[in-house]
Amino acid sequence: MNILIRELKSNYRGLLIWGLALMLLNIWMVSMFPSFAADGAGLAEMVDMFPPGMIKVFGLDIMAMDDPLGFYGAEAYFMVVLFGSIYAAILGSGILAKEQDDKTIEFLLAKPVSRLHIIGEKALAWIIYLVLFNLGIGLATWLSFELFDVGEFSRTTLFWMLTAPLLVHLVFASLGFFSALFFTRRKSALSVSIGLVLGLYFINTIALLSENVEFLRWLTPFHYADAADIFSDGALHPGYALLLLGFALLLCIVTGAIYRRKNITL
Amino acid sequence: MAAIKTFDLTKYYGSTRGIDKVNLQVEVGEIFGFIGPNGAGKSTTIRTLLNFLYPTSGSAQIFGQDIIRHSREIRSQVGYLPGEVDYYDDMKVGELLAYSAKFYRRDCSPRTQELLATFDLDPDKNVHSLSLGNKKKVGIVQALLHQPRLLILDEPTSGLDPLMQRRFFAVLREEQARGTTIFFSSHILSEVQRLCDRVAIIKDGRILKLEDMEELRHSQFLQVRIGLGEERDIDLPGILHKTQANGVWHLLYNGDVNQLVAELSRYKLNHLWVGEPDLEEVFLHYYEKEGAE
Repeated sequence: MNILIRELKSNYRGLLIWGLALMLLNIWMVSMFPSFAADGAGLAEMVDMFPPGMIKVFGLDIMAMDDPLGFYGAEAYFMVVLFGSIYAAILGSGILAKEQDDKTIEFLLAKPVSRLHIIGEKALAWIIYLVLFNLGIGLATWLSFELFDVGEFSRTTLFWMLTAPLLVHLVFASLGFFSALFFTRRKSALSVSIGLVLGLYFINTIALLSENVEFLRWLTPFHYADAADIFSDGALHPGYALLLLGFALLLCIVTGAIYRRKNITL
Repeated sequence: MAAIKTFDLTKYYGSTRGIDKVNLQVEVGEIFGFIGPNGAGKSTTIRTLLNFLYPTSGSAQIFGQDIIRHSREIRSQVGYLPGEVDYYDDMKVGELLAYSAKFYRRDCSPRTQELLATFDLDPDKNVHSLSLGNKKKVGIVQALLHQPRLLILDEPTSGLDPLMQRRFFAVLREEQARGTTIFFSSHILSEVQRLCDRVAIIKDGRILKLEDMEELRHSQFLQVRIGLGEERDIDLPGILHKTQANGVWHLLYNGDVNQLVAELSRYKLNHLWVGEPDLEEVFLHYYEKEGAE
């Protein structure tokens, strides 16, 4: 538990900054909804003015802007997913790459601790962090829904809209973790994993816009936590949830297996 | 049972040579010098022994246990000081040492306090604000605090001032008296001569020679620079190599310093400078020739 405690202590700054930023953003978004909803006609007019592509990207063909969950799904949800994924990628890649970048790995590996143990405790550290991160955002958002006068909404659907981002974040943290095996400089590991988040998000958007490449959506984690799907189904598809979790778990196992046999050079 | 025993231990990085068929045996309780110029394979050997690296071929045992299969058990009995010390720079000295101690199943705090006092370290200082020498001292304490049976030290004296170096050597002798085995890598011949019982000499990844220190102490190497006040050749026993430029002679001398001074009295000197040769030079003119024989 030594490494886990150490990691939990040393990474809290990023958690606070990213967590607070997204919490405030969500509170602000939800607080705006009542005044938006009051002007129903104006809202519909505004949506009509959007180009069709934009409507599709924001899921406005499915989610109604005058519904609190539709509004949240279209306006705020993607920011939690996207920015949270960037944070997760930074967290997952940094937690592993920093040891080699700072040469502290020579200290750590000389201790009586197995490599799998190191990987396990570090993975546990970012898992706990991401759960806390989403718990904080989730609580702030839920309370905003309760406190601001947003009208009727399904708490189950909201629960899933607040849970699904966690699964995407876990996937990107494990991708960052995995990439740190091959990019041992913290900066390169960071660039690669942030690039992956943005690249996959871009692919997801393109695939939404063009029917020719719609199949590409299946390749991005974002597709499996789509706000419009959660909105129309009332919950996250259980198969999708398992897929995201399973993929993250698999990547962690592969990372551990490779790390165990790796030559640690400085 | 030997403290360290290697069997044709070989490590290549792709096609780049790290070490090639290294055979070593370090006995329990001895201070074993491991000497060679930079890039000779000292750190590669150590990192392979600690299983940071997997050997390409060959194998090794520490206290009779295989370095790969029993790496974790081995590391619980080893203290390691890396050549380049770098620590978590968000930590204080005391925090770092406590973190290090928690990996071992024993109470390390009395020994830690003792070592902090010996090396004059302030546990409340931030690690990142420390000078190189002080970082090295933290590294030393970190390697010693769990009272390991085997100490592996990679160039431990670089960055230490002479006073600290002396204290450090005194601590190492105490450790030896307690039964600790010490594997001491260095590229400075004189410190190995002062401290070690036996020495292995490594060059280009291969062990050139294993020597008892007694023998090595007899062959003292000196670098001599002489400004000669007369036009003549210098010729005296023990010269391994000599060059001359603008009336200044550079000699690599191997032998007794008294004899050197006595011989030099036959010459008219403008100035005389005697110092320690660097290892590269000794290798070039002594061990390489021997190795080739």
